[in-house]
Amino acid sequence: MECLLDEKDHEILQMLQNDFPLVSEPYKVIGDKLWIDEHSVISRIVRLFQNGVIRYIGPFFDSKKLGYSGCLVALDVTEERIDEVAEIINKYDEVTHNYLRDGSPNMWFTLITNSEEQKQKILSEIKEKTGIKEILLFSSKKYFKVKVDI
Amino acid sequence: MKSIDEKTKNILRELQNNFKLETKPFKRIANEIDCSEDDVITTITHCIDNGIIRRIGIAVKPQKVGFSANALTAWKVPPEKIHEIGSELAEIKEVSHCYDRECPDGWDYNLFVMIHSKTKEDLDNIIKNISQKYDLKEYKVYNTVRELKKSSMKYF
Repeated sequence: MECLLDEKDHEILQMLQNDFPLVSEPYKVIGDKLWIDEHSVISRIVRLFQNGVIRYIGPFFDSKKLGYSGCLVALDVTEERIDEVAEIINKYDEVTHNYLRDGSPNMWFTLITNSEEQKQKILSEIKEKTGIKEILLFSSKKYFKVKVDI
Repeated sequence: MKSIDEKTKNILRELQNNFKLETKPFKRIANEIDCSEDDVITTITHCIDNGIIRRIGIAVKPQKVGFSANALTAWKVPPEKIHEIGSELAEIKEVSHCYDRECPDGWDYNLFVMIHSKTKEDLDNIIKNISQKYDLKEYKVYNTVRELKKSSMKYF
């Protein structure tokens, strides 16, 4: 599963994670720091996308500052219903992450909505469609960190 | 919600939908909405300063960069200590997400911490160290079994 990354790949990933240059030609700035040319930087990033190391490039917004609130939702799903229930939940654009975990509850997803009504509507639809009535809701109060350090 | 003027909104919308891997990514956005590249960069910088944008950058798949043991952990932290402990756990390299959350009745584990490490053994050690260092005896560990969905929210 793990991909072989060389030192330059790691340096590029770190700069993209922590210090994306806000200038006209950001990849040129990255290349200058790493002693490689701009096009090598871009082609390495393309390769990192292709092998699945990078899954997204772009802005990360603070949902709260844009009037949205995020919550983590957890429920217990029996083994044989996992795919079926995941399909119902994942259909919503407002559901951005969903993971199967060991322990109980075992299905954990995130829900981002811009009103309490919308949140309650989606949750009650999920309850209705899955027949699972017990759903735990953890609204976010404060975030301290959202980033994978590499 | 902070009020965002139309021009900023247009720039943020393009940034969300049309940020491409190319030599001049901000120039493309400027061309799309008929403003200058400087306007785009200044607006983005401003939005980073006021916190609307957390950062420009990448999201990586933890498993692909060598983190094969991943777990969501939830800790029972006294409310008066949550800021201090949350801020310190955020500094740990293996911690990717750290949130103080409101909890339903009967659930006492208010600090949610996502941890990624190379081996299960490392993961257990990190959890043990957190427990000892901050004297947090009550916690839950939910190891990641399978990713069912991962996407980005469209705000604009």
